Amino acid sequence: MVKKAPVLFAVMMIAALALSACGAQPTPAAVEVPATEAPVMTEAPVVTEAPAAVSESGLPEIDPADFSGSVVTAGSSTVFPLAEVMAERFKDEGFAGEVTIDSIGSGAGFERFCKTGETDVANASRGIKDSEVESCAALGRTPIEFRVGTDALAIVVSTENDFLTDVTLEELGKIFSATTTNWSDVRAEWPNEAILRFSPGTDSGTFDFFVEAVMGPMHKNADGKADLEAAEKDILSAANVQFSEDDNVLVQGVLGSKYAIGYFGFAYYSENQGTLKALSVDGVAPSAESADDNSYPLSRPLFMYSDASIMKDKPQVAAYLNFVLSYVNEEIIEVGYFPASDAALEAARQAFMDASK
Amino acid sequence: MENTRQYTPQAPAIDLRRHKRPTEQVIQAFLVFCGVFSIFITLGIVYEIGKEALLFFKLPEVSVWAFLTGTTWQPKIGAFGILPLLNATLMTTAIAMAIAVPLGLGVAIYLSEYASPRVRALLKPVLEVLAGIPTVVYGYFALTFMTPLLRTVFGSDVVDIYNTASAGLVMGILILPLISSISEDALAAVPRSLREAAYGLGATKLETALVVVLPAALSGLAAAFIVGLSRAIGETMIVALAAGAGPNFTLNPFKGAETMTGHIVRMSGGDLSYDSIDYNSLFAIGLFLFVVTLLLNLFSQFVVRRFREVQE
Amino acid sequence: MNKPFLTPYFDENLGRRRLAERVWNVIFRASTTAGIIFLALLLFNILNQSFGYVAMTTKVDPDTLAVNGVALEDMDKDSLVAVLQANVSKGKFRQLERELPMAERSRDEVYGLVWSDVVEPEIAGTWLLVDSILHREKILAETAQKFPRAEVTFRSWVSPQFLATPQASNPLTAGVRTAILGSLYTILITILIAFPLGVGAAIYLEEYAADNRLNRLIQTNISNLAGVPSIIYGMLGLAIFVRTLEPLTSGVMFGATEPGTANGRTILSAGWTLALLVLPLIIINAQEAIRSVSASLKQASYGLGATRWQTIWHHVLPGAMPGILTGTILAISRAIGETAPLVVVGAATYITFDPTGLFSKFTTLPIQIYQWTARPQPEFRNLAAGAILVLLIMLMSLNAAAILLRNRFRKALYDR
Repeated sequence: MVKKAPVLFAVMMIAALALSACGAQPTPAAVEVPATEAPVMTEAPVVTEAPAAVSESGLPEIDPADFSGSVVTAGSSTVFPLAEVMAERFKDEGFAGEVTIDSIGSGAGFERFCKTGETDVANASRGIKDSEVESCAALGRTPIEFRVGTDALAIVVSTENDFLTDVTLEELGKIFSATTTNWSDVRAEWPNEAILRFSPGTDSGTFDFFVEAVMGPMHKNADGKADLEAAEKDILSAANVQFSEDDNVLVQGVLGSKYAIGYFGFAYYSENQGTLKALSVDGVAPSAESADDNSYPLSRPLFMYSDASIMKDKPQVAAYLNFVLSYVNEEIIEVGYFPASDAALEAARQAFMDASK
Repeated sequence: MENTRQYTPQAPAIDLRRHKRPTEQVIQAFLVFCGVFSIFITLGIVYEIGKEALLFFKLPEVSVWAFLTGTTWQPKIGAFGILPLLNATLMTTAIAMAIAVPLGLGVAIYLSEYASPRVRALLKPVLEVLAGIPTVVYGYFALTFMTPLLRTVFGSDVVDIYNTASAGLVMGILILPLISSISEDALAAVPRSLREAAYGLGATKLETALVVVLPAALSGLAAAFIVGLSRAIGETMIVALAAGAGPNFTLNPFKGAETMTGHIVRMSGGDLSYDSIDYNSLFAIGLFLFVVTLLLNLFSQFVVRRFREVQE
Repeated sequence: MNKPFLTPYFDENLGRRRLAERVWNVIFRASTTAGIIFLALLLFNILNQSFGYVAMTTKVDPDTLAVNGVALEDMDKDSLVAVLQANVSKGKFRQLERELPMAERSRDEVYGLVWSDVVEPEIAGTWLLVDSILHREKILAETAQKFPRAEVTFRSWVSPQFLATPQASNPLTAGVRTAILGSLYTILITILIAFPLGVGAAIYLEEYAADNRLNRLIQTNISNLAGVPSIIYGMLGLAIFVRTLEPLTSGVMFGATEPGTANGRTILSAGWTLALLVLPLIIINAQEAIRSVSASLKQASYGLGATRWQTIWHHVLPGAMPGILTGTILAISRAIGETAPLVVVGAATYITFDPTGLFSKFTTLPIQIYQWTARPQPEFRNLAAGAILVLLIMLMSLNAAAILLRNRFRKALYDR
């Protein structure tokens, strides 16, 4: 019996493989797709040559229905609502393939883009780090940055909160620091209750941005530069803090108590305006204007990253990015974010044109 | 055998030694493989989880002692104490058992000793339905019904929106049918003669149930208790939705805290880079969980065997 | 009656014993009632959130679209087409034209398009069923005050449309189609793997295995595996199927997927993970079923000269089939409801296309429920409740099918 087992094991594995191969039959349809895209690729250059076919954005005009296949994207949960709306509109206007978006955090998005090479586009609410660029280089990818919008990071409390309308950047740092526990530790006239903190997790670009912009100034080392590690440690070891990569969990947490405070992308605040209150920081309230002219101290860019070779090998990815860069300003206000400055968007469009050559 | 040669040529000789054997041998080998496959699963679990967990423990900043006794779990700053997670697991389990054991036993005794066959035929399916509801539905129930209920009763200042009490209570409802059905099987297995002897001596139904039947079924009841405990410790969705999203060492059931299972699910949802410290730390927690539930299961089997011997 | 042997102490005690009996009787009944109440509360909560009033308002006020004093509802087809063209994006209009040219659409169809794509209905508020029934006046008053343009209508969140539309970000149009298909595909694979393995193991353990240490170990092992938390199976699936066997499970080995973006988080991995999870359940149930086949039947078969496998195939298995099928259906029910292992294995967050085969990304119904429940907006709670109803109905039908199958097999067995 013992001797027969390896033989039969091999038989079983072959049988299992055969079973999986049977299941592979429906997918030849997907394999055929690259073949049908070939004629499309020759159409696109024709379109760009004719000046009349250039849309208002300056990018070559495309018809989503000419493209099919998969566009795999993943990354920031902040960018997710925007990406979702753009993908739905892309599909609405005729895209025959599939766009998948995973909301896993900017860091994890770069991981999938640069280390494992699983995605075509990385969504991010922070700029790419040098170490991530290096990982990409190891895979043969050169990330191209496309600025798609601006977020005014919302510092939110529940509408039941009656003692907060405005905080200074410094107080904000103290509120999330391990050095304080109660509200009254930050400002004496605030209640002597524990601060219930809600923050995005360490994989999130929002977290990285907050650490740099808010906690960083409190932790300067000898030569005046911000010690980001110490700043990160500060917020991570604070008491009563709940971390989640899912901004919806944070929203629920904040609206649960009048002593709770949290921060996330503006879109998640505007979706819940009835139950949440956004604080002004240093006297400036988050809005389209204050985000645009940078008077709101916590405004930050929203990006999508891709690579020129991916855009060439998968024209549907190029089409998707083209679509996003052309129409993002029509949808972004409704999603809850703010348009990127004209200069930034123009630069992104130019980067796209350069990459398409 | 030579006898077969004596048959007349019209009747065919049946030689069993050549008939169908190779097929039978193949089938038998397949069946042996199936039987042994389950061992592969366990080996797979132990190997994979152990391997990653070992990678975790080998890291210089991690020590097994700190893992088992530290009170902060925050991998990014090098704090790897499992106690906050373990504490939350134990709290939800304790609350769940506090609900499920008395009620479960009550239902079991009622069904086996008091209820008429018609009532039993009606109630057993109801309990089975409760047992068959997916845990994510219970999680939804905890978040949308139990938490607001607790906040209304105790006040929203006392009860946070994520809290272990709500998760524990709903987990108790989840385990109730499990404990009651295993207990009821155990009680029903007690021979009728024991009961009738008690009745013959003038005992009331209650006295028979508590003094005669219950002790006789003790091994089964202990098994039910341990199965329920094991289920509560391993429960994930209810705590993921309702208990909280951050490791928090607190004994206050009205505050949010994350259990071991909730932590694993949350980290997996945020996507993991393989070979990162977060990935390996999950497997360390997983190994801990696996060992705990394995020990509980082995213990329950031991209890059943041991107590049953004493009875007979 | 003269009871010389009965002391007063006995009488007194008797009273106390009877009282205790009554008290505990009440306690036991109360426990049972508590169980029934919990179930009722659970179902009530779900039903409460699945139906109710919604305040339907529109993003764009239809009055602002009136042209030359002609209201939207009075416009003829050409004016409607003009309104549509002026207010939707060029690409969208082009796509609509492609699907069915405007010339071929009826006036009502164009009006419908204008309504859905230009006026864009949206939900301003949602209420529970109980509130809708009891506090109707208050709801109407509240809506008139907060959302003057809104209309309060009764909405059933579960509808045929809900079942047929894929996931979307807009709660008005979101559906569970992708999730249901993902669940069904995954379960299919789970059963294809777990059923033969499980029944085979049960046959081995009951018919072939001698009572030696190896087989006792296997038996103990199976009982232990049945008690392992489901999330551990998820981690096992992540480590082995998603990571180690990635070329196999992503389909790259078979040339079925493009190597660039393929990963192991596919339906195949999910199916295998769930198969390992339910395997112990199937084995235990099948063992019980096989054990229940009477020994005399087997011995009669052997007596007639049948081999072991012949006996099993022709006599034991048919006799055990009702029990085996019941066990399998219980396992399917368990697998359909499992969430945690699949989250760990890597179900997709946003996926709107139907699964195309073994190697496509997936989401399942419980995971969809999990994601919707985690969202704070009340409309998503309603959606989650609707999805839960769909899930529960699926499970109930499965169990009903199990009972029917079992009865039919039992009949077939006895009618032979």
